[in-house]
Formats: sequence, structure tokens, C-alpha cells
Amino acid sequence: MTRKAHILLVDDNPAENLILSGLIRKVDSIDIELHYCRTMDSAIAFLLSGKPVSMVLLDNLVHPRGDFRETVPTLRHQGFIGPIGVISSSPGDPYFQSLEEYGADFRIDKSEIDPTAIEFILREYLPEE
Amino acid sequence: MPVLQENHRRYDLHEELEKALNRVDFFRIFHTLALRFGFGHFGILQLGNENDACMLSSRLVLHDLPSGLAEEYDKRHRFGDAIVYKALHASNISSVWRADDPTLGPGQGLLSQLGFELLLCVPVNAATTGARYAVLFLGDGEDIEQAEHYELCYSAASAFDYFYRATLANKAGMGLTPRETEILKWISHGKTASEIALIVSVSEHTVNSHTATILKKLDVVNRTQMVAKAIREQIIQ
Repeated sequence: MTRKAHILLVDDNPAENLILSGLIRKVDSIDIELHYCRTMDSAIAFLLSGKPVSMVLLDNLVHPRGDFRETVPTLRHQGFIGPIGVISSSPGDPYFQSLEEYGADFRIDKSEIDPTAIEFILREYLPEE
Repeated sequence: MPVLQENHRRYDLHEELEKALNRVDFFRIFHTLALRFGFGHFGILQLGNENDACMLSSRLVLHDLPSGLAEEYDKRHRFGDAIVYKALHASNISSVWRADDPTLGPGQGLLSQLGFELLLCVPVNAATTGARYAVLFLGDGEDIEQAEHYELCYSAASAFDYFYRATLANKAGMGLTPRETEILKWISHGKTASEIALIVSVSEHTVNSHTATILKKLDVVNRTQMVAKAIREQIIQ
């Protein structure tokens, strides 16, 4: 049976949702349902709604909340203990070296997200059923 | 992880390797390397004793192959009998294989069995223990040119060196980080991984990953022994 995963994408650019949706359709080993929130407030509301979220993919800069050093702890304070990945176009910036201290699990460059990367990340972070 | 000297030349990968924190970062490095040289996928294979029964899926310590591919291969074939596997034990020279390679012989089509046209193997060693591994690159391209082959071998060996030291090496005797000590303290209070994740504001996966590192560093096999040793060595009260 194909595994099921719920990914919550938090990004203030709706185009990223379209792009990720297209990539996810090419992943056939895992049944992925993509949920999308444009703001941190709507993401928090989604987490608190009790709907299943296997993983959060968070754009590094979600206006007006700032970068992952502010947004990831905000999500953690809602009680979310699943994996959080930070998407950035410059994940090599020095402040990313402390991403684990802020509760994030991994970083990935926007240009590196492809079906292989999505499959790898889900295999790494989602427990076997 | 000890900082290497400038004498260890890492060229273009230097900065990225120095910044790599976890398995996803190493996935990014190896996957990008594979794509840059015209391959589609990579795998890091642990080489054991040549005569041991061995399954491809259990020997891959990091890979980006499609989910279930190695497991399906293991259901049908014996990786220990593959000429490629034997060749990795025969020599440390990098090897290149094609699906129609006549040296593979009948029933030896590892590449066609996996569904690829080209395989490049880079044998590598762990600096501290000498343990043998191989970095594999798989794809459907044409043969690789000499200069590119050299560069890929050098880059793969450099990346593996960092990957081994960061994630595979036995860290027994190394000191705990403040975050590991904090997690150890909560384990000693009987908290579960999910409870600790909530308390410390990280993911459950991170807690489990830190716990595995603490087990390695304290050289113990379970949480009970971990706590007992930590108290004995006055890491926690």
C-alpha cells in the first residue's frame, strides 16, 4: 500500500505552491497531499485545526514575520513536533548553521527541490507505517 | 568535527562541505554532484567482507534511488554475486560499467536489473578506521570523459570524508553538546521522545537523532545504560 504524507507549505508566494504541486505529482512512491498557507497566521490556524500534517516546508522569509529564526519557534510553540524544512534561495548563508537550535530539521535550496529530493526527505523524516 | 587544514584541498566543494550539518545536506551535495556530471542518482555503499551474504538495500547508507528499488532488486537477485560488487573488493581503482558491458556476462546485468545504463564506482575509505565504502553514480548517459572522471572521483572522496566523519564515525568518548546534555537530562526524567520534542521545541526526529548520537558518544546500547553511565560519569546528577 502506498504511504500517505501531508505536507504543509507555508510561503507568501502562491506560485511556489503551484510549482511544488507539479513536482509532487511526479512522486509516485508516496501519496502526498499538499496543503498551502500563505501566512504564518493561517499556518498556525491550520496546525491548531487538528488536520494531519506530516511535515512543514517553510519559506525562509514569510512576511511580516521574518526569517526561520522567528517563524520556526512560532510553529514549535503551537506544539508541532513533526519535521520542519526551511526553503531558501540562499541556504548557505551563515545564519543557517544554527537552524537546529531554532527547531528546524533541514534546509533546502529552492532550485534543489525536485521529485528525487522530495522522496528522499520524506523517506528520511517520515516513520515507516 | 575537527577542522581540516588548508592543505586538504577541497576546491569548489570546500565551503559547502564545511557547512554540511546533517544527512539532508549530504544528500544535497551528492545529488547535485551526480546531476552535475550527467548522472541521475547516487548511492553510498558500505563494503563488508566479500564473502558475507549481502543485500544491496542494507548496504546503502545514503542514496537517492527511487523508493523500493533496492528492496525489489534484493527480492530477485543476490548483490553479493554481482561482478560489480566483487570488483569493488578486488581494487580501489574507480570503475565504470555500462548495461551492455560484455564483461558483465549472462545473469550479471546489475545495471539492467536496476534500470540504468551507466554506473561509476568510486571506492573510498574511512580515514579513522579504514572501513571501506564506495560512492556509486547511476544514470543513463554516455561514457564519462577522463577529466570529468578524475574530478568526480576527487569530489566524491572529499564529500564522503565529511559525510563519514559527520554521520557514520564512532564518536565514543567525544563530549556532549549542551543540547545533547539537555535531552539526556529529560531522558533521565523518564520523558518520551515526543514529550522532549515539545519541551525543547524541536522535532521528534531531532530528539531521536540526538539520542542516537548520545548512545554513540557514551558507547552504550540503550537508554537505561545511557542514563546509568551519565550519572556514573557525573554528566547529569
